[in-house]
Amino acid sequence: MSATPASLPAHWKKFLFAGLAALAVVWFFAFQAATHGDHRGPLSVILGALFWVATLIGLLMLTMITRVFDAGWAPVIRRTWELALPALPIVLLLSVVPMAFIPKFRHLLWEWTNAEHLLPSGHAVGHDPILQAKSWFLNEGFFLARIAYYVVFFAVLVWALRRGSFAQDTDRTAGHTHRLHAISAAGIPLAAVSLTMLAFDCLMALSYHWFSTMYGVWFFALSIRLALAFTVIATYRLSNGGWLDGILNQAHRHVLGCLMLAFTVFWAYISFSQYFLIYTANIPEETFWYNIREFDPVTGAKNQWWGVSLYLIFGFFLLPFLSLLFYRTKIVAGRLLAVASIIFVGGLVDLWFNAVPRQINAAGTPEGFVVSPFLTSYLAVDVLAVLGFGALVVAVLLRAAGRHETIPVHDPRILESINYHE
Amino acid sequence: MNERNERIHGVACTFRKASDVYHAAEKVRDAGWKQWDVHTPFPIHGMDQAMGLPRSPVPRLTLLGGLTGFVTGCLLTWYTNSFDYPIVVGGKPFWSVIFPFPVLYECTILFAAFGTFFGQFIFNRLPRHHHPLFDHPQFARVSDDTFMIVLEATDPNFHVDESRNFLQSLGGQEITIVRD
Repeated sequence: MSATPASLPAHWKKFLFAGLAALAVVWFFAFQAATHGDHRGPLSVILGALFWVATLIGLLMLTMITRVFDAGWAPVIRRTWELALPALPIVLLLSVVPMAFIPKFRHLLWEWTNAEHLLPSGHAVGHDPILQAKSWFLNEGFFLARIAYYVVFFAVLVWALRRGSFAQDTDRTAGHTHRLHAISAAGIPLAAVSLTMLAFDCLMALSYHWFSTMYGVWFFALSIRLALAFTVIATYRLSNGGWLDGILNQAHRHVLGCLMLAFTVFWAYISFSQYFLIYTANIPEETFWYNIREFDPVTGAKNQWWGVSLYLIFGFFLLPFLSLLFYRTKIVAGRLLAVASIIFVGGLVDLWFNAVPRQINAAGTPEGFVVSPFLTSYLAVDVLAVLGFGALVVAVLLRAAGRHETIPVHDPRILESINYHE
Repeated sequence: MNERNERIHGVACTFRKASDVYHAAEKVRDAGWKQWDVHTPFPIHGMDQAMGLPRSPVPRLTLLGGLTGFVTGCLLTWYTNSFDYPIVVGGKPFWSVIFPFPVLYECTILFAAFGTFFGQFIFNRLPRHHHPLFDHPQFARVSDDTFMIVLEATDPNFHVDESRNFLQSLGGQEITIVRD
């Protein structure tokens, strides 16, 4: 091994500066676009941030779920999740919060917050009866209050889960495990409602006519998939010259692989069910959302989003699903890493599919709007935003790793976890 | 295999400790035995590796069952809705992969379960109503406080006297011949 396990945390400042530099560039493009009335620049910030918000919410849910189920395999891996979790409120504060609270960005991203905004029909948003009927929920005051709530709620939950876990390292009491069990049992339903509302506000409300009651479950499924992929990638690195060197074994990989398979199927089940119900019911307020993701409204020819949809089916579901059916994919570190990387990339594509397509006013066209295309130069800014926020998450993880034990040395199940067996 | 061996199921040998039977199993594995088994009152972690057991072949039948189920679902929905009695429902096409998908995956799951269920019967050679070991006086104790290794006569390595000596060298306690 080239690096000693202890040397990794020392690199946290490099990641911090790299991340901040990348985000400065992303925010520069966001400002530039906003001054020209283009929403796509600010959307890059939201996309990059939500990729990591989803990943971190997934880690948070896994932390609580493994606590509630007393998972014997989890403790050595869960500590790495706990080290990364403070990044969740930080990423929200650097992305969704300024985007929602600065009116210029808010009006561009969430069109319904600007009553004067003109729809393709020529009417102002404020006179839209569909918005008026939803205004008890979709109004600026409540919206901003909810955004602030997400930051506070997730910050408090993360703080509570970490505090007990780290305290156990020094005072060696098993009571922390019982208290964290109770906190997790209460935290799971609260976090489930909060992540559902967050998905509604940050993604579904970008297109306020459309609604799907399955959206929160879809976001949860995506979060867990991203979190598991992140875990596989991170533990692969950490078991090759990091703090999990010699600790992570084949059985840990197997359990992560099984979970990735399960949530790949779950994601497909939820995503397809949402499509299936809308397809079957055939209600215009719902079908337009899938229509603009498939074909041009005037000519009926397939647009770029059709290819993205097919990528989601074959690249984000079928390929990981078929690969993970095989036992050896789940235990051979390199193969599991490859599948996790495919899932990681697919998660970004799924966010593109959900957040980017929208009807943009275009006077003179038969429908009065065009659908924003997939292939634009902003894709590079999106990727930079994902890398930038990712570097921040890694910086938080490494900084915490230098200040705390990197495995929970006095967890009652630590030996069971280290010696975990298939 | 000589005539005499055909009436013999194998040679059984008891052990008192889990670690003894574990290490004995490793030596039987290393001696190249294929037709043999270990009986223990509780699961012993790592016994699969100590015995050199390969992965179960049942998942292959699960996959085969799943694929059969998917194709069956496709044929069922296509034949009924599009071929035998075409009928327009909700303005949807007679057949596409979308509307019957619940049928397709339910069939996939059902047939995959059949593949698993009947697959384990096939590979475990069940149902079987009697086994020579049930007549062994010590066999009831392997569900209580005794561990047992049985070398079966169908293995090419098997020879009554040599196999007895081999088990003795492994530290086996009570060595008996099991008759068919």
